[in-house]
Amino acid sequence: MRHQPLFLLCTLLSTFIGSATAQNPIIRDQYTADPTARVFNNKVYLYPSHDIFPPAGQRQDWFCMADYHVFSSENLTEWTDHGMILSQETVPWGKPDGYSMWAPDCVFKNGKYYFYFPNAPKSGRGFAIGVATSDSPTGPFTCEPEPIKGVSGIDPCVLVDDDGSAYIYWSGMGIRGAKLKGNMLELDGELQEVKMPRREGMPEMPPMKVGGQAMEGLPDGFKEGPFAFKRGDWYYLTFPWVRGETGEGKNPTETLAYSMSKSPLGPWDFKGIIMAEHANHCWTNHHSIVEYKGQWYLFYHHNAFSPRDDKRRSAQIEKLFFNADGTIREVKETMRGVGINQATEKIEIDRYSTASSDVTTALIDTVNTFRSYQATLPKKGSWMLYKDVDFSGLTDSYLIVSALAPENTEFFVREKNAKGKVIAKIKMTVKSEITRPGMPTPFRRDQSNQWLTLTVPLEYTPKGVTDLCVTCEGDAVSIDWLQFKNRPLYFTPVASGAEPSQPDDQGFIRRWRLMEPIAVDVRSNVIFTDSWLRNKFADELAKLPKQKAKWYTLESENYNMKLFRFAEKYGKQTYGSFFWCETVIDCPEDIQNVRLACGSNGASLWWLNGEEVLLLEGDRRMVVDDGVSQRLTLKKGQNTLRCAVINGPGLSDLCARFIDEKGNPITNFQIQ
Amino acid sequence: MKRYILFPLFILHFSFFISRVAAQTGAPYIHDPSTIAECEGKYYTFGTGGGGLISDDGWSWHSGAERPGGGAAPDVLKIGDRYLIIYGATGGGLGGGHNGRILTMWNKTLDPKSPDFKFTTAVEVCASDGMEDQDAIDPGLLLDPTTGRLWASYGTYFGTIRLIELDPKTGFRVKGNKEKDIAIDCEATDLIYKDGWYYLLGTHGTCCDGVNSTYNIVVGRSRSVEGPFLDNVGRDMYQGGGRMVITAGDRKTGPGHFGRTIIDEGVEVMSCHFEADFDRSGRSVLGILPLLWRDGWPVAGEQFRGGTFEIESARRGYSLELAVDFVRMQQERQRFWQMDPNEPLKALPEQKLEEVIGNWPQGTIPLRCGDYMFRPHQHWTITPVPEAGGYLSAPYFKITIAGTERALAATANLELTAVPAFTGAAEQLWRIEQLTDGNFRLLPKAIPGREGINTLYVLYSAADSTPTLAAWDFSTDNAKWHLRTAK
Repeated sequence: MRHQPLFLLCTLLSTFIGSATAQNPIIRDQYTADPTARVFNNKVYLYPSHDIFPPAGQRQDWFCMADYHVFSSENLTEWTDHGMILSQETVPWGKPDGYSMWAPDCVFKNGKYYFYFPNAPKSGRGFAIGVATSDSPTGPFTCEPEPIKGVSGIDPCVLVDDDGSAYIYWSGMGIRGAKLKGNMLELDGELQEVKMPRREGMPEMPPMKVGGQAMEGLPDGFKEGPFAFKRGDWYYLTFPWVRGETGEGKNPTETLAYSMSKSPLGPWDFKGIIMAEHANHCWTNHHSIVEYKGQWYLFYHHNAFSPRDDKRRSAQIEKLFFNADGTIREVKETMRGVGINQATEKIEIDRYSTASSDVTTALIDTVNTFRSYQATLPKKGSWMLYKDVDFSGLTDSYLIVSALAPENTEFFVREKNAKGKVIAKIKMTVKSEITRPGMPTPFRRDQSNQWLTLTVPLEYTPKGVTDLCVTCEGDAVSIDWLQFKNRPLYFTPVASGAEPSQPDDQGFIRRWRLMEPIAVDVRSNVIFTDSWLRNKFADELAKLPKQKAKWYTLESENYNMKLFRFAEKYGKQTYGSFFWCETVIDCPEDIQNVRLACGSNGASLWWLNGEEVLLLEGDRRMVVDDGVSQRLTLKKGQNTLRCAVINGPGLSDLCARFIDEKGNPITNFQIQ
Repeated sequence: MKRYILFPLFILHFSFFISRVAAQTGAPYIHDPSTIAECEGKYYTFGTGGGGLISDDGWSWHSGAERPGGGAAPDVLKIGDRYLIIYGATGGGLGGGHNGRILTMWNKTLDPKSPDFKFTTAVEVCASDGMEDQDAIDPGLLLDPTTGRLWASYGTYFGTIRLIELDPKTGFRVKGNKEKDIAIDCEATDLIYKDGWYYLLGTHGTCCDGVNSTYNIVVGRSRSVEGPFLDNVGRDMYQGGGRMVITAGDRKTGPGHFGRTIIDEGVEVMSCHFEADFDRSGRSVLGILPLLWRDGWPVAGEQFRGGTFEIESARRGYSLELAVDFVRMQQERQRFWQMDPNEPLKALPEQKLEEVIGNWPQGTIPLRCGDYMFRPHQHWTITPVPEAGGYLSAPYFKITIAGTERALAATANLELTAVPAFTGAAEQLWRIEQLTDGNFRLLPKAIPGREGINTLYVLYSAADSTPTLAAWDFSTDNAKWHLRTAK
């Protein structure tokens, strides 16, 4: 159990922190709207709004957010959910049941993280914007007792300029901007009394004290969600914008648009579109733009996991590029998104980069939408290409793929393109023939139109970062995900003349010399009686000196020696095998009153220095200290421990150690 | 002379019933039964291959339960007002490879005749890929009563037993949940929770070899649902450890596939199958046995079959008896200074029924508890009444004074009486259950004047000497009884 501490650590990490591997959408177990991405300490932190389904009593077809989560990533494909950082119940000035925690932002200044968020105030209508602070980007955040005075609206965005000045932008009576005081909590400058526009059917509102100034130079039409950033000496003010004609029977939706200026509060020069309207009439879009490791990215949202309701949205990412004059090239939405996937991740290959025109994608389950998408390759010749998969972490590996088919079919995974080198051939048999007489029928049913996890050996292992192409080689097939898995390392060959091995902390002998397995005609282990075994072992022992068999010296990675995996690697058969195993141990002195403690799958017979010391008979499974010998003496110098294991069906293995009178392991010897 | 004939008759009578109550009655033929589930007053269990058993009373079982999907070894759990069924769609080594997959699905009811009977589309929650030391079949469910989290353990001898977490609202795998290896060397595992401990029960030994199957059920325990599960000598089940819960015996071999059912506080049963019932041609049958807890470990109790007993109160240790005159036995007594040490010793006879029965009233006789003196008015013969049906674990019994037909009965005012002869009336039938602490509780099947089957009132010590009927309460010895073989 030398490896247990590491194993435990990995388990703990993976248990406590939720993580998602992602293409678009990037977060696949909850909704994530209005994604504000920030880079802190060489990591990307994502502060989205958290859309939920409205509880009873709330307007069912409207936005509904009760708290915020923060996520982080170092490679833009694997995201860690750090959990809730702020909830509506803990905002001192907010309505505890307002469900109005809309688009937030978070910036770093003066050694602190400032989290800006809109929320419904306890008193009054509309929205106010509050601040919560923390020493860490993942919180815990402490909320200020009052919202920022003079800011009435939503969608805060804060720009910290190169000289340390900070500016806040928000949406409320158009897009406004203001300088923040050095404390980051108050507007710098006088508030003005503004008469509130009267809404039809509503009582007249008293005038309000409003700070900052309206941003000038922006186009007509509805605007919200300002996101300001600086690149070189240009300031950019970017925003969702409705450019289409409004009016009776028309419902134009939001684009992402931008303006540029040489000063942080404008006036602005409108430049055009960053991203066009969503094709499916998802009304909103909301975004942020961030540079990470030399590449600019656009974070935005779409209702990918809520096709019938555009108030439940999910964050996506695309690369963003600038022209030489500082203008932004229009960005197209993709399913593939960004980042390089490790081949050992679960890759949602249905979010392909390109595909033949007949390939379709759809949600696997339109109710439980977080089961995500599938892609269907309808006929022979259909293909889909998925870019940027890193194979450098692969050793001895195989492919698993989740697929569904109405009929028996076949598909390939290839490298680079539809005619590329075949990595794996997947034959899907969903309507099985009876392959052997007497096969129990309950276990071989019709598996058509069921999601199956298929395991396939690799024909070829690519190197480095490459593209994957799935090609349909038969009838239609739908694919959900695929993943390359490294086989565990069970043992390593020991070179002749290597240093001696030690028993492990629990005294288990890990180094064994194993003869290539001998095939035996044993279909069931119930025949392993004492006398049957003694006869069989005696027969095999008599044959042993004459055999020209290969022997392998192996060091096990585990306390037990996995004979099944040895047979798989070096033998002709895994089941119905007979194993000869031996090891030579070197004692510095006579060690008296020890017992040999063994476990084996299946039956085994053990000899120490030529004397039979233990028989494990019957249909055995390997159990630590399943049987022990009588008291023995390990003599000074070399002692030869030999065992024979026989197994019909079963996962053959063995474990052995020496223990003292109290059951404690003996470890003061070496293994040659 | 009459009494003389009666005695051997009684022996014959009793042995006849022993062979009849060897397991659940009816046609309880199943392999890998799921934990017993109750639905609208009936009991259900599902087995390998599809289908399953139904029982109206928990004692008599017949086929008729329906589960699509085939495969091996399902489990079922009621969550809220729905039933979650989890099953392995493949057959492990039986089906060929070790490329296993486990699915969940829901149903509002388990009654195939109900209009609501409709399974949701099954969803895969985990799989083994055929290359690992793992075979994803044989799942068992635990809804953790302390956290509300839903767990499933699965796997076979082919590698490890694994733990995964499911969402109790959807039955899906919790997003991002990673499998954890918790045991080796067993299959058909089940997790249970009691008093701050999580117990992992696994089936060890050889399956599917009829009367030679060595299947048995072992257990390890942990303070965390994620293990490590250690046995009674501290060995981790991940290294093959395990303490025996039930093995072959009672003319049945190969208990496997544990399930726990809590009937009441302190009243639990375990379900399993036996690979071979020697009284039914060696067929694989459902078994339901009392589940006892000893020093923090689960142990299978024995099926209660009756016999002749002293019924001793756990309160004081007094014995349930007919309220009749105590008849003194005559004894030649020697003063110790006059005793001849060389005189041979002789055995004294016990008081016999015929020496006292003539003194007893002819009609009903009230009950009381008193010092146990192994007298005829303190000896009770408990006999199954097969035609009266049963409950989980046993048939109903009659409780009669040994050698007579005088029967213990409940009265309308929740007291006790001994009627002159057993008539088969429901208030003369008794449900007898072994408790988790090894004691017994006794419930009349019905209370005269009250509708339905009694599941509340038990034989109860109102005082040291006064038995009565009162509501079941595991926290008091007043409600518990020792059944001691009458000697």
